[in-house]
Amino acid sequence: MSDALVETLHSSLLELDQPKTVAAARAICSGDGEPSAEQAVQALAAALEIVGQRFQQEDWFLGELVYAGEIAKQAMEILTPHLSALATQSSGTLVVGTVAGDMHDLGKDIFITYARSAGFEIIDLGVNVSAERFVEATQVHRPLALGISCLLTICAGGIPQVIEALAERRLRDGLRVIVGGAALTAEFAAEAGADAFAPDAVTGTRVIEKWSGV
Amino acid sequence: MNFKERFLTALAHEEPDRVPVMGLIMDPATVNAILGRRAVDIPALLQKPLLRGPLRRLLNSSWFWDRMYYGNSSGAVESAIQLGFDANWTIYAFMQLANDRETEVGLAWHDVFGRVWEMGSDGCGNMSLNYTRALCDTEERWEAWAEAKAPLFDRVIRNATRFHRRLVDKYGDRILPIGYAAPGIFENSWQAIGFVNFTRYVYEKPAFIKRVVDFHTDFYLRYLEGVMQSGVEVVLGGDDLGQKTGPLMRPELIEKLYGESYRRVAELVHQEKRKFIFHSCGKIYKFLDYFIDWGFDGIITMEPTAGMELAKVREQVGHRLALIGNLDVSRLLVKGTREEVEDAVKSAIRDAATGGGYVLSAAHSHPFVDPERLRWMVEAAHRYGEYPISL
Repeated sequence: MSDALVETLHSSLLELDQPKTVAAARAICSGDGEPSAEQAVQALAAALEIVGQRFQQEDWFLGELVYAGEIAKQAMEILTPHLSALATQSSGTLVVGTVAGDMHDLGKDIFITYARSAGFEIIDLGVNVSAERFVEATQVHRPLALGISCLLTICAGGIPQVIEALAERRLRDGLRVIVGGAALTAEFAAEAGADAFAPDAVTGTRVIEKWSGV
Repeated sequence: MNFKERFLTALAHEEPDRVPVMGLIMDPATVNAILGRRAVDIPALLQKPLLRGPLRRLLNSSWFWDRMYYGNSSGAVESAIQLGFDANWTIYAFMQLANDRETEVGLAWHDVFGRVWEMGSDGCGNMSLNYTRALCDTEERWEAWAEAKAPLFDRVIRNATRFHRRLVDKYGDRILPIGYAAPGIFENSWQAIGFVNFTRYVYEKPAFIKRVVDFHTDFYLRYLEGVMQSGVEVVLGGDDLGQKTGPLMRPELIEKLYGESYRRVAELVHQEKRKFIFHSCGKIYKFLDYFIDWGFDGIITMEPTAGMELAKVREQVGHRLALIGNLDVSRLLVKGTREEVEDAVKSAIRDAATGGGYVLSAAHSHPFVDPERLRWMVEAAHRYGEYPISL
């Protein structure tokens, strides 16, 4: 029975069946602790891993990536209060924001959903984030990596400014910077001094998993 | 051949005298640089307490909006003529300045479809407007918005007709103004609701989404009729179906939700003996066969930074679609050398121009596209684009 519930949670997410996924999460939480919320979260993460693979293989598309992430978020809201403190330990902290002048959050938010499911703690600075705020957040949180999103070409020039500001404050050593968004290319990322370019949220998560050794 | 014959011959997949070149000029920064105009920083003016009220009233008048939009678009067309383009797109929009607590200036533009466009600087001293949020994130809000704004939709169509007619009348003997009907049905559907909610409703509230799509299809067809009444020969529909690594939504789902709408669009344009070309950013190989099926005459953009290659597109579609594009605007037309621009032009002509069905253009526009490099592009097309192609 317990394995069946976890299996239902996993398979219903992959079928984009929101009611069934949420019902399975609730059933797990209202049970006798077997299966545990930790097992359920692992099943969700495994399902999202498959969603990411399908997206990268172009079997699934952005809409499915987003909707799967939204269903997983709803299930996580049900499961999180039932997790033990040990289970909520993160694989590392990431500071994430959209560059100054740019108000777009879709790409950043999709990345956050998938990075969280991979076990990272996210400090979301929101949109229109100045270089100074990226620097302050880096000083405060000492993240494993900094993620900068940019949709607009006219704002892309803000990215090297962030990286220069980090270097000026001697915060660049040991800090990885990853950039992504419609306005950017791998060539731009290299010129700006970033460590990696992510054309999509799934790739970004994979890159940071490698950096963290997960 | 004149510019019009050249362009329409190419769209008909016949070889004109030389490869036509289309301008995508629309950004005030580009227009100002070419025509020697000064930038107007509207967001900065709106921050001055004494100016804020009167300026806001002015900005919300149809008179100003039409005048500003016409002024910029006529400047874009004049710029394109100066640089030697055969055609240029002309974009009409209508928005209203509304109170908005989520923005730094406390104001944002709301378009008639329910989007929020936030003001910023384009980096060259002009106002830039960017879609950032949805105003109708629930079914109830969308229904209320559509009802409340009903009178505006007709006004938008009338204004668009007048706008395009003025451009055709003034410039039609020197360049082909391309009527631009955008945003399209897909963007108008999801952007007023937000992508996350729209995606959710596709699965959870399909009847609502069908109503939204039907509503925007009806509006778009009426808008197209209005644009075509102006006398434009070619209509360009803009509807981004792709993102950097692939389709925004599953192509089969887009066919199910929008296929019939797009077919009606193409049929209407063809009934009026016009041509319909379609703009979509992103990696859209998986849509190319649908475009043919829907009856589109051509596509424009083929974003190289999203992996779109002219030769590959031509191989996939043959001469069933005319291709317009796709010189890079991430680097080449911003800071590429003259030799690099010429090489890119030669490469594009080699990849797509044989047998007609090809119009050279930049992949897109933004304020940092350099007018001098656009001029190099046009000159290279004149130098290397004569038929028969011998590259």
